[in-house]
Amino acid sequence: MTALLKTEGLTKHFPVRRGVLRRQVGTVQAVTDVSFELGSNETLAIVGESGCGKSTLGRALLRLHEPSGGKVWLQDMDVTALDKRGLREARRHMQIIFQDPFGSLNPRMTVRETLAEPLLLHGLATPATVRAETDRLIDLCGLSRWHAERYPHEFSGGQRQRVGIARALATRPKLIICDEPVSALDVSVQAQIVNLLQDLQSELGIAYVFISHDLAVVRHIAGKVAVMYLGRVVEEAATEDLFDAPRHPYTRILIDSAPRPDPTAIRHRLPVKGGTPSALAMPPGCAFHPRCPLAIDRCRSVRPELRQVGQSRVACHLAEKVVGMEAGRAEAENPALTRRLAVLERARAGSA
Amino acid sequence: MTVTETHGGGTPEPENAAPAARRAWWRSLLADRAAAPAMLLLMAIVLAALFAPLIAPHDPNANSRAIMQPPVWSERGTAEYLLGTDSQGRDILSRALYGTRLTLLIGLVAIGIGGVIGSTLGLLSAMYRRIDPWIMRINDMMLSFPAILLGLALVAVAGPGVLPVIVALGIASIPDCARIARSIGIGVMGQEYIEAGRAVGLSDWAIFRRYLLRNSISSIMIFLSLRFGQIILIGAALSFLGLGARPPTSELGMMAAQGRDTLMFAPHIATIPSVVIFVIVLCANITGDALRDVLDPRLQT
Repeated sequence: MTALLKTEGLTKHFPVRRGVLRRQVGTVQAVTDVSFELGSNETLAIVGESGCGKSTLGRALLRLHEPSGGKVWLQDMDVTALDKRGLREARRHMQIIFQDPFGSLNPRMTVRETLAEPLLLHGLATPATVRAETDRLIDLCGLSRWHAERYPHEFSGGQRQRVGIARALATRPKLIICDEPVSALDVSVQAQIVNLLQDLQSELGIAYVFISHDLAVVRHIAGKVAVMYLGRVVEEAATEDLFDAPRHPYTRILIDSAPRPDPTAIRHRLPVKGGTPSALAMPPGCAFHPRCPLAIDRCRSVRPELRQVGQSRVACHLAEKVVGMEAGRAEAENPALTRRLAVLERARAGSA
Repeated sequence: MTVTETHGGGTPEPENAAPAARRAWWRSLLADRAAAPAMLLLMAIVLAALFAPLIAPHDPNANSRAIMQPPVWSERGTAEYLLGTDSQGRDILSRALYGTRLTLLIGLVAIGIGGVIGSTLGLLSAMYRRIDPWIMRINDMMLSFPAILLGLALVAVAGPGVLPVIVALGIASIPDCARIARSIGIGVMGQEYIEAGRAVGLSDWAIFRRYLLRNSISSIMIFLSLRFGQIILIGAALSFLGLGARPPTSELGMMAAQGRDTLMFAPHIATIPSVVIFVIVLCANITGDALRDVLDPRLQT
């Protein structure tokens, strides 16, 4: 089976320029050497803390940020090799949903204009049929038809996000990058949007790259998870494997540190020190070693490559050690996660 | 489809329900105690200027034997010449009406030239950051020429007349307008919907027109309406210096200049056109300010 989306060594570095002559004084290594595969109808979640390069990765996949290296294939099409015109046509097959439902819609266009734009552009509707097509999208995303002639500022965050989703669906893409689609919404609306995304996936067979820092949502929606730290994937595994047996110390800490109402309920928590190093000045060796509670000398000098450990791919010298450690499935007992997952399930059952 | 529940609450509204927000800005503009009279006055002046041939009681260029008649409210004033006559016996009211016409025309055309060219350059700068430094440096050079100096230079080349003044004022307002448009445009370009438009596959031209221009235009118009007052003032100053309209055509700045010689014994000849200029500029500024308060979304919380 050929993968729907495949990346090889995808890299995006931003030059930092200073002064009148715009001399390059440094490089922000936002995304480095990311490779993964994603089949149609699958969801790959990308998680990590702020600034780890999740959003840059999502935009580099669509060439909204021009990658500085590596390849992206959408089925047999080499996205990174397309010229400007080819890229515009290819945009039909890959779309994006943005985090900020307030900023991602043109305030001067009605919902219908916003939805009609991609349809007419890619020849999926004629001026005669565009009204029916936009109505179909509006229905599909759970909006009402009288919403169509309204402007974005007249909607709530959740409704706007539905418009954003409808716009992404307009061209019937095979792949949608969801860049933190629910982070800006409150919890009850989050559940609705997540369910909408899932229903659309089962109905239309779209693949999602789901960028998020919210592990509860990720666990609910994704089949595979890639954990990013300072621009690199440090662990990639099936969702259940990742949450049950994290093999990278960073993954474990990330899962342990998900917010919860009763912090004392967690035992055996790995200590983490310091903050994220700057992506301008990467530490040598493993990027995580300055904060890693397990770091050994080797971690400070040799950068671990992604390698197969059990069912996962992990970039850690000590991966075998981490999984055996008694940190005790802290996440599974986490009442906050359990409760929110229950809310999501209930909302899902209600809408079905 | 399984997801058909509606979100938005309440009952569906009728299709033709006017969007509340669009009516609102008109309301708040009319509720503004300074702006409403200023706009009405400005409108009255514009109408009076437009219909000058119908309103004017006399031919603005016809001399009469009643020289330096004072206005009607002073002792020797007559109802024949409501605002008096100038040193050549021409009716000041008629001349002021025609003069306002020309003054407004100069201002509008100049601001049109400057606005279109300036905002195009500024928005291009905002969109293509690669050419931005070049456009802005040229802009800085243009900015260092005062409008009056530019006007003097142009008139020196082309000879006095209305057209060189309009061109000079238009060119002089390009750099300011380009700067404002650029900063507004950069704000718009930073919005996520621009990226969304690119993700949809829109061409640069479509993004420029439907996204950048549509979202910048109201802020730019507000700036231009404020700038309009200044332009009129500079235009009048150029005419005052004898660079603009040529006699006997009437223009407010020129009328003020002509009244200068008789300022001591017939002050109304210079004062009346000056007051008209003052009122136009004041009203334009107040209106522009009010428009900005009401329309500029960045000032709203």
